[in-house]
Amino acid sequence: MNRPPQRVVVTGLGIVSSLALGREGTWSAMLEGKDGLAPLTRLSLPLEPAQLAGQVAMDPGRHQTLCERMALGALEEALDGLVPQGDPTRIGVFQGAGTSGLPVAEAFLEERLAGRRGRASEPAYQSPSTVTDALARRVGSQGPRGTIMNACSSSLLALGQAWERLAAGELDFAVAGGAENLCRTTYAGFSCLKAVDAKKCRPFSRDRAGLNLGEGAVQLVLETLDGARARGAMIYAEVLGYGASMDAHHPTAPHPEGEGAARAMTMALRTGGLDASGIDLVSAHGTATPANDGAECLAIRRALGTAADAISVTSTKSQFGHTLGAAGAFGAAAAILALRDQVVSPTLRLEEADPICDLDCTPKVAKQRLLRAALVNAFAFGGNNTSLLVRRWEGR
Amino acid sequence: MSGTDLVITGLGLVLPCGDGIETARASLASGAPCFADLPEALGLGRGAACAAFNPVGTIPPMQLRRLDRPSRFAWVAAHQAFADAGLDPKAMGERIAVAVGSLTGGSEASEAFMRPYLQRGPEGASPLVFPNCVANAASGHLALAYGLKGPSATIVDRENATFAALEQAARWLRLGLAEVALVIGTDGLFPLLLDLCRGARMLARHGDPEVGSGRGFLPGEGAQAFLLESRDHAASRGVRPRAGLRALASSSSFEDTVPGRSQALARAVAALGGGSPERRVGGANGLARLDALEGGLAEAHPEWPGAIHPKRLWGEFGGSGGQLLAAALLEPSDLTLVTAPASSGSQFAALLEGVNLDRS
Repeated sequence: MNRPPQRVVVTGLGIVSSLALGREGTWSAMLEGKDGLAPLTRLSLPLEPAQLAGQVAMDPGRHQTLCERMALGALEEALDGLVPQGDPTRIGVFQGAGTSGLPVAEAFLEERLAGRRGRASEPAYQSPSTVTDALARRVGSQGPRGTIMNACSSSLLALGQAWERLAAGELDFAVAGGAENLCRTTYAGFSCLKAVDAKKCRPFSRDRAGLNLGEGAVQLVLETLDGARARGAMIYAEVLGYGASMDAHHPTAPHPEGEGAARAMTMALRTGGLDASGIDLVSAHGTATPANDGAECLAIRRALGTAADAISVTSTKSQFGHTLGAAGAFGAAAAILALRDQVVSPTLRLEEADPICDLDCTPKVAKQRLLRAALVNAFAFGGNNTSLLVRRWEGR
Repeated sequence: MSGTDLVITGLGLVLPCGDGIETARASLASGAPCFADLPEALGLGRGAACAAFNPVGTIPPMQLRRLDRPSRFAWVAAHQAFADAGLDPKAMGERIAVAVGSLTGGSEASEAFMRPYLQRGPEGASPLVFPNCVANAASGHLALAYGLKGPSATIVDRENATFAALEQAARWLRLGLAEVALVIGTDGLFPLLLDLCRGARMLARHGDPEVGSGRGFLPGEGAQAFLLESRDHAASRGVRPRAGLRALASSSSFEDTVPGRSQALARAVAALGGGSPERRVGGANGLARLDALEGGLAEAHPEWPGAIHPKRLWGEFGGSGGQLLAAALLEPSDLTLVTAPASSGSQFAALLEGVNLDRS
């Protein structure tokens, strides 16, 4: 492992969620134990048994997809009026996408099935990278940009990409995150896999029965520490590194003992140069599906060893639902704000933990505690695992 | 990013002209386009389909039934690349990364999943089809097939997705997160894609696509696999590289205009660090805006050799661009320049050195 030359910090954070259109509103609602899950209105799927979702109070614009609109909204908050200065070729944009363009393709297909012509516009059908391009225009980027589609680990890997470039000294400034909007393909897909709970999801619970779907966007501004200091930026946290791995086990199910997930976490610790004893929080993937949560807890134990007994674990899925391509960025936002305020957001509806989830999964209420560093997990179909390592900013 | 520390040691090709390196080399040398009327199952109109593709014998029958078209292509191309590089992936799976570039990965399955759902409701939804609706399905299938457990990314940056995947793979190798990287570009044709492209008026309607005509492109499909490793790692295995990756660069424009993108492409070329290319491969495809980017570059560099344009023969794969890299590896050359314009997003350029066809 070649140590990167630059330290990387988070200097901006924007959230558009089903709890609130904004960072602090979302965060305070999370700490109060609220969730954004509500009867499904975004889509009309009356035959689906589950009718709950985390929906954002925002609609597509006339010339924008909902994804683009949410992503730009989150970016505006993250920038907080900042107009990035300096060499535009050293500004990068990295986005994770899950469904992104699917609603447009669905609408076109539906029109064709109805015997109508449908509206095919090129930007619409290519929209995964269109969101990235829109964000790049906003920050005036002439540098590298990337759109990752690693399903549910997409946006966390996008954050890893940004870290890589900044840490290597190739960029000064980057925007990274993800946006996801509800669509029929994912709703019907997870439903037919029997992965959706008709009730509100219960991560880590003995009676967990599946996930709820959600939508939203999170955008982070990342900079080199030198650049952030030079402009006197407020620093939320430091990104130390990340890890990624494949399970090579099953197209949709995680490795039952979390073998690949543990390797991603171990790699994140290695790239970040941190020992397991330095971790106080895991912002878990925590989908509330029967297969995921147990495997993830085993993976945490595998990666952290005895240090796992002293950490807090939490799942944002209990508050936003599963935001798929944006889920990793939501987990990262929760971890960064937790490190800032020294408080862990709760895992809602965790009444009785599954014995296999024998970690402190922060049931029902927020928990004040010392938080030095956090791992953020996001795992995806295809056995794609990503883990990001972030550290509390202490002004050094 | 530049440096000659990374080499390409394995190549695998599934192309409209057929499978394998020799078939591709003959196709490129002939200059004959591979377009024909498409089979109805793939869509209406003309295009370059992998009509002769036959994965039987490479993909086990049980798996074959579960795979979408891009994943089938990727599996076979990867198989060829590992064999070409003389590498047994199972022996070092945790140290092999996979980076995939695709536009259509997942889309074919999405149509196959949603068509019956929209017609019949939840009863029409197949749990066997849905897992392939994600773009990274191919990387998951490759991981299962070859025991690959390193980092993985699937990148969807329009025409240049495979270049972005190559860049990511190079970064993982240099960071020490993997020892070998399998870079794949894969895309498959399906009816809704053709319908959308036609609706957006991007397709050439008369004859084969001509670079500079502005009349549009014809779609193609296939997969290209490249095994990337450090020069030292290849040497330790006793493998002679197919080529060195001398430099790879990307640049973008915040203006979605031809001049803006042209400048970005020129910046990417400039970032390669110079050198006089002996051979040049270009990404023009017959679509006016893509051809304009490359046309401007050629005007500014009259000293360059004329470019060959693989998309004119094999079609526009939409998201991969891997056919350009493949073409760059099919003729010997001390220095080959690849210019890869995109209709938006990142513009890429690459320099391959010491392209060597003799592996003995």
